[in-house]
Formats: sequence, structure tokens, C-alpha cells
Amino acid sequence: VIQAAPLPPLAQPVIIGVALVYFAGVAAIGFWAARRTRTARDFFVAGEGIGLWALALSAMAATVSGFAFIGGPGLVYSVGVGAMFLVLPAAITNSMGAWVLAKRMRLLAEARKLITVPDALGARYRSRAAQGLSAVAILIATAGYMATNILALGLVLDAIFGTGLTAGIWIGMAIVLAYSASGGILAGIYTDMLQGALMALASVLVFLFTLQSGGGMAGLSASVLAADPEWLGPWGKLAPIAALSLFFVFGVGSLGQPHVVHKFYMLKDPRRLRWYPLLMTLALILTLLLYFGVGFAVKALVARGELAALTRPDDATPTFLLHYTPILLAALVFSGVAAAIMSTVNSFMNIAAAAITHDLPVALGTRVGNELRWGRIATVAISLVAAVVAQMSGTLVALLGIFGWGLFASTLVPALAIGLNWEGATRAGAVASIATGLVLTLALETLAFLRLMTVPQGVTVAGLALVASTLVFFLVSWATRKTAGEIDEDIRLVMSV
Amino acid sequence: LTRLKRAALGAVVLGTAAIGAVYLAAFVTPERLAWAPAVFVLGIASIMVGMMVLGAASARGIGRLALPFAFVWVLLVGGFAAVFMAPAADAEGLWLGLPPAAAIIVYGIGLLPVLVLPFAYALTFDSTTLRPEDLERVRAARAAMEQRAAAGEDA
Repeated sequence: VIQAAPLPPLAQPVIIGVALVYFAGVAAIGFWAARRTRTARDFFVAGEGIGLWALALSAMAATVSGFAFIGGPGLVYSVGVGAMFLVLPAAITNSMGAWVLAKRMRLLAEARKLITVPDALGARYRSRAAQGLSAVAILIATAGYMATNILALGLVLDAIFGTGLTAGIWIGMAIVLAYSASGGILAGIYTDMLQGALMALASVLVFLFTLQSGGGMAGLSASVLAADPEWLGPWGKLAPIAALSLFFVFGVGSLGQPHVVHKFYMLKDPRRLRWYPLLMTLALILTLLLYFGVGFAVKALVARGELAALTRPDDATPTFLLHYTPILLAALVFSGVAAAIMSTVNSFMNIAAAAITHDLPVALGTRVGNELRWGRIATVAISLVAAVVAQMSGTLVALLGIFGWGLFASTLVPALAIGLNWEGATRAGAVASIATGLVLTLALETLAFLRLMTVPQGVTVAGLALVASTLVFFLVSWATRKTAGEIDEDIRLVMSV
Repeated sequence: LTRLKRAALGAVVLGTAAIGAVYLAAFVTPERLAWAPAVFVLGIASIMVGMMVLGAASARGIGRLALPFAFVWVLLVGGFAAVFMAPAADAEGLWLGLPPAAAIIVYGIGLLPVLVLPFAYALTFDSTTLRPEDLERVRAARAAMEQRAAAGEDA
């Protein structure tokens, strides 16, 4: 669910100028961070030295991809209130994540100096299989996310600079790669701060313009209700179970997103977590105002006859910006779209590189000699593969793209989020659960994509796989409960405080 | 395992099984089942609150957090129930600019928890989440492990 079709041409001097200033800012931060990246710990966990604002803004920027700015408003325009179920859980998920994972992950870094999410599983269950399987799941999901995001970045750069899609993909990838390979997650965190702030600012300003364009919320509602009341119904144009499935998958599934969870390792002082849920939730909600506002405003403007009905829902944001906001704000938003995509890609590059150079070798009982150097090499290799895939095959990108969130959720939520808080979870339960999530997600999503299987209305493969892997986790842990006490003392301490 | 953690785990298991049952029913019959949304909502609320209790509970219990957690469960279950009972949408009876059912979804379920949960987390952080002495215990365990490793190398 990300930008996969061309945007309207946006090549205007102000838009190009703002985008260039933005890219120069990113380059400067990347250069600064690259000079401070001296060890593998700097590269993969920012030397455990970031502050609360950096954590909250970078976690938010990694969570929100370009979808929130382009595809999301298009989805709201199409299905109405039902599309809100994808973002509604944000009011709960960050606090839930703080209670369930933030403290435990940060204390694991304190106790064991861990650097990846599979590291945490390996330490919790004393299991190389759990670490290796979760690394495989992360690699597959990351490949999909990266290919779709790099394709989206190519489309955005093509629209802004008129580069053509192929050049847009390679230029976009080269920019992210330049700071990711040299500065690692340290560069990513500080560029994410700039990108997160830009996204939130742009979103709030656009939201104010959406209200102005439609005569406030009441004016927007009156226009839509006159033309299409179902759109403003509680589920929009979705069936209730379909809307609730979105809430479940994006609510509970948020506990298994490694590009966000991994950032808990990086906080300098664990006690600064106190205000993390508030900062992260506010930043996320401000950034998502555009998601709701633009979709709603365009629907109302079309209902009033002030705009022609959109042929492609993804045109909602460009159409609104070019008709109803000052060009400088439009330029800021288009840079914000690029920012959202780049910050997400950077996070995925980093966790994929860590999976290849750290987790898989550890799972195989070995270590690479120089993790910093190999981390950089892996980052380059992954990026090249993702860019080639993004450019080569629309079908392959579409297939890979659907694995992302659901694969993370079904493989990591039970073993990581529940397992770090329940001493009764066993190694066999964790491995069986990760394997179930991995196999079910890949098999069912592929069958559904190839139209060899039909999923009933309202049921999502991601939801099915998450339910199955969770139940398998409990069942196998119960069946093997005699081994439940096999936890190292320091890990038991982290789990008990 | 404390009684509280056992209850939280029970809520997560039952909630997951409830959602699984709705999915299974959707495969068995193509008809829309009247009970399915209610069971799904109970499942979501139980899993989310169960997870929060599981994460927050320590040997000291969850203290004052019982209240915000109960609030979230009631908000989710009550909010979605209210959606089914809300008056039909018309331009005359808007709540903060939205039809009642949509307003419950967007402002109630989508925003009200923000006014409660992050503040509950911050205000109980010292007493429930991470006490300075807990952090010191983890650091001491790390130091002891490093000392043992160094002693092993020397030997």
C-alpha cells in the first residue's frame, strides 16, 4: 500500500528549490554523522547515545512512510472513515509499546550490549534458531519494503525534477545510500529528526488549509453527507470486520516492527523513556492529520463540484496541494513525502544490513571480522538489489510489498513482545511461532496475490497469520513448559524489573 | 507467575482465539454474522489491554495503572458498541463537525486514549516502570558478568 503509479508533474521552480534545499540539509547531516561513525555499535545502534527527541522523531519518521502523504489520503478519499482504522490505533500503540517493549529492550542493551531485534530473541531463548529465523523474516519483509519505497521515491523525484522513473529510482537510492552506508543509523537518526519535523510541520499546515477549503469540519461533513452519506458512516465503505481487522493488524502488529523497536536500544539514558509515549504519539498524530484532512477535503470538494472526480485516488494530495495551498507549502509537502520515504528506507537498510552481517552469522555459530566494514558493504549490496527489483518488475515489487507489516507482526509479536514479558514462553514455542508466521504469511499472501486462493471479505492474511502464530506460540510453550525455566539470570532480571 | 500476569495472559489468549473464531466463521459461511463485530471488538480490547498489563506488571503489581487500563478497555468496548447505537448521519446533528458514529470513532477511540495513556506512563514511571534501583541492579549484573569473564580469561 504505497505509491506505485506516477504523480502529476510538479516541476515548478519553487518546488525544485525547496527540494534542493532539503536534500542539501540531508547531505550535510549525513556528512556530519559519517565522521562520527567509528564502530559497529555507532553504525547499528548510534553508540547508544541518542536523546529522547531524537528517539521519538526518528521512530515516528520510520513508522510513517510516503503512504501517509500520498496513498493514505487516496484511501480516505476512496473508502472514507474506514481508512481511519489503519491509523486509529496510534492513540494506544505507542504507550502500549512503551510498557511492553521499550524498557525491556533498553535494559537488554544495558545488560548484553545487543544491537539487533533478533539478538534479543537469541538472548531471551538462548536460541540461535530463533535469532536466525527472525533474521530471515526481517530480510524478506525488508526486501519488500525497500523495493516499494525506492520505487515510490523514484516516482516522487520524477514528478519533482522530471528525471524519468529509472533515473529517479537510482538518484533517490544513491542519496539514501550515501548517508546510510557512511553514517549508518547515526546518520539515519539525525536525518530522521529533520525529516520527522518537516513531515509534522507540513502535515499540520496542510490540515489547516483543508479546513479552510471546506468551511471547517461541519462544512466538509455537510458536503459529503449530501452526496455520499455511507462514506461518513462509522466503517466508511468497508465491512465492519474489514475495518476492525485493520485496527487489529496495525494496533497489535505495531509491537513487531523491528525498525521502530530496534531504536529503543539507542536511547542514552533509559530513564528518559518516561516521556517517550507522549512525544511519539503527538508527533505521529500531527503527521497523520494530512492523511485524514486531504482525503476528507478532496471528497467534499468533489461532492460540491469544485473539483472533478479523481481518476486515481492517489492524486488526492497533489491535486489538493496544487489547487488549494500556497506553492511554498506544496513544495514543503513534496519534500516531506521524499523525507518520509527516505527515513523509512534508511531504517530498513540498517536492520537488513545487521541481519546479514550480524544475525545470520551468529545463528550459524560464527561472527564476521569487521562488522562496521561489512555492515557498509551489506548496506550497498541490499540497496542495489532493491533498486534493481524496483526498476525491473512491477509484479515482483507488488508481491514483495504486501509481505512487509504482516510478516513483521506475525513473526515478532508473539516471540518478542509476549516472550519478553512472560517467563513461561519456551524456545520451542518461539521457534514454532516465528516459523508459523513466516510460512503462513509467505504462502497465503502469494496464493492470494496469484488469485489461487480467495480470502473472505474482511479477513486479512496479516491478521490470520498473526492469530495463528500467537496461538501456536502459546500452545507449543504450554506443551514444552518443562523447559520454560531455561533463561539466563541477567535476562531473567531484565524481564522481572 | 503472579495472578495479575496470569489474567493478562488469559486475556491475550482469549482475545486472540476470539478473533480467530471470527476469521474461521468467515471462511465457513459467506453471510455477515451479526455477532462477529462484537466478538472481534472484545478480542481487540482484551489483547491490547492484556498486553499493556503484561508489560507493566512486576512483583509490585501495576498500582494506579489499573485505572487507565480499565479506561481503555471500557473505551474500546463501549465506543464500538456506541457506534452501533449512534443516530443516523445527517448534517443537522453533527458532533464537533462529524456525524455521531464517525465522531465516536475519530475523536473517541482515535484521540481520547492520548489524553490518558502517555500521562499515565509518565506519572507512574518512577514507581511502576523503571525505578533507579532496578536500573542499578541490571548494571551491577552486567559488571559482575564482565568481572567473571575477565577472571576467566586471567585464569
